Amino acid sequence: MDQAALHTLLLGAWTTAWISAVAIAGGVPLGLALALLREARIPVVGHIIVLYVSLGRATPLVTLVLFIFVGAPLLGIPLDRYTAAIVTLLLNTAAFNAEVWRAAIRSFPHEQVEAARAAGMTRALIFRRIMLPQIWITSLPGLVNEMTFLIKASPAIAVIGIVDLTRVTNRISAITYEPLPPILVAAALYMVAIGTLVRLQRLLDARARRLAM
Amino acid sequence: MNKWEILWNHREMILGGFKSTLVLFGVSAIAAFALSSLIVLAMRSGRGPFGRVVRGVVDGMRMLPFLIYAYLLYYGLPSLGIRFDAWTAGFIALITYHAAYFAEILRGTWATLSTGQAEAARAHGFTTFMMYRRIILPQLVLRAAPVLGNQVIICLKDTAFLSIITVRELTAAASAVQSQYFIPFEAFIVAIGLYWLTSMLIEALVARIGFAAERKGLGYKRAAVRR
Amino acid sequence: MDTSAPPFAVEVRNVSKSFAGIEVLRDVCLNVAHGQTVSVLGPSGSGKSTLLRCINWLEEPDSGEILIAGVRIGVRADGKTHMPDRELARMRARIGMVFQSFNLWPHLSVIENVTEAPIHVLGMAKDEAIGRAEKLLEKVGISEKRNAYPYVLSGGQKQRVGIARALAMNPEVILFDEPTSALDPELVGEVLAAMRALAEEGMTMVVVTHEMAFARDVSDEIVFIDQGCVVERQSPEAFFDRPQTARARQFLSRYT
Repeated sequence: MDQAALHTLLLGAWTTAWISAVAIAGGVPLGLALALLREARIPVVGHIIVLYVSLGRATPLVTLVLFIFVGAPLLGIPLDRYTAAIVTLLLNTAAFNAEVWRAAIRSFPHEQVEAARAAGMTRALIFRRIMLPQIWITSLPGLVNEMTFLIKASPAIAVIGIVDLTRVTNRISAITYEPLPPILVAAALYMVAIGTLVRLQRLLDARARRLAM
Repeated sequence: MNKWEILWNHREMILGGFKSTLVLFGVSAIAAFALSSLIVLAMRSGRGPFGRVVRGVVDGMRMLPFLIYAYLLYYGLPSLGIRFDAWTAGFIALITYHAAYFAEILRGTWATLSTGQAEAARAHGFTTFMMYRRIILPQLVLRAAPVLGNQVIICLKDTAFLSIITVRELTAAASAVQSQYFIPFEAFIVAIGLYWLTSMLIEALVARIGFAAERKGLGYKRAAVRR
Repeated sequence: MDTSAPPFAVEVRNVSKSFAGIEVLRDVCLNVAHGQTVSVLGPSGSGKSTLLRCINWLEEPDSGEILIAGVRIGVRADGKTHMPDRELARMRARIGMVFQSFNLWPHLSVIENVTEAPIHVLGMAKDEAIGRAEKLLEKVGISEKRNAYPYVLSGGQKQRVGIARALAMNPEVILFDEPTSALDPELVGEVLAAMRALAEEGMTMVVVTHEMAFARDVSDEIVFIDQGCVVERQSPEAFFDRPQTARARQFLSRYT
């Protein structure tokens, strides 16, 4: 593979990287918000969230990104492809993250909350100082696991014309007529990124177990 | 004519795509599971080179995006003289990719089984293969049903990626219908609904297996408790 | 060579076995006649369990031979070729084993545990296997639990199922590997009672145990093993009343 091809490939890698990063950064807090809203047991909102999470986990990313990219303008919301891609990845990952957070919240020992309330802390304070630091640690392995799935699913955004790390290999082979090298290099880059996250996940898992909740 | 009527008039396109998705997904999920139950035996075969290679390949697959793997089979292999049509490449990708994931799930579950019962099987005259089929594998399925179910749903969703390598499945059909007749919402809502329905059915099946497991004391929660 | 029926159900000839450089069995010899009950006694770590597990080739001896009803197990008659999985399985089908940790199959009900091997190893018809299993469960006194799953059973109940499961194969000999060591004291009696009944019916049994009263009452012969060697081989009265070696005396002093 020559210089130009490598350069193009790295541009594709960059596209995948920054779009994934934005979706990951937004998806973690969004998932938490959804989990908290659900636990708050507000009548209609709770049901909507359950429906959303169920749909979000069952819908293929390819279908969703097409739906949002083609459908949003018809609702009067103009979306360029990058925004559409980020919104789609966000909605998808938030649905999975909501379940991860929910499991951590559910398994949080109620005694700690009671002790804090007895000490006069407000609910917001309890959440911020007592619950969040701990459920953050127990949720991390699951959240990182979901990050690996996001990166593995990110090639779906190619279908709305974004030249990500996967689609870029088509571009390169259209010029060089050698499809195999760029595909192999792209595969290697993905594996390095995901492999790093997997290793991180194992470390976090060990740390969470030491907290032994 | 309203948009839903247009969609109804062209429903064979969507349903045809749905049928393709079901065939791809159904055949692949079953074949992948069958393949994985053999792979997990290879993974457990100790420190020899064969076991290590298999474990390495399985770990590798779990770090690879599905689409790039499909690309490799469909666009990459022709350089080496191996040419698959899109459907064949799709099947091979789905089956081998998910076999690796199923194998890792089964391997992890096997590690939680008590070792004595395999000895009891051997002491009663079971050959290794029979012991695996009658004693080990049923328990792996019972214990790992929820995780296996999740992986089956991922297999269903991965079929949509194949639309990118020109396989005419549900997402490709919905996309074709909506662009031809200008009914994006209706077409995609139905497609998403069909995916959702299928995964609900899978989860219902998993729940039934879960009930059987609970009855035998092998449920997800109870499996951790040993008397 | 004597061509009549082999006199011994189990013959152990000069078996030695080491684990990680430590000799666990040294040149052990043992014969068990048909219908005999032999109890193997000895301090912890003396190699008793290893000896038992060599008899059905769950452990492979480093040297020596083991014969089941006159046929060599583990190695073919030529003395050199190892038995392949299927032949070994066939030989093991003739030897029953009852384990210290019961080792029931958790995904099968009680009656399914007892019929599983007869159906899939011996090729017995399902109805026949169920019929036999019902009788055996009644014999060990656990009929009412036939459809229960192992996780609800007490230790004593599980072990009685284990005994029925071994009996279902109609074995030439049953090996008992410390069958009551993992049981709460109140549950030991019901298992020993079942074993006593078997011995009285003439089943060939090799029992590794710490239950001295049982060994004395039920055995035809006591084999005392210490540090991998057979130190004494006596009738129960001779062993318990008049032990001949210092090691045996030392061992017995702990139980009186």
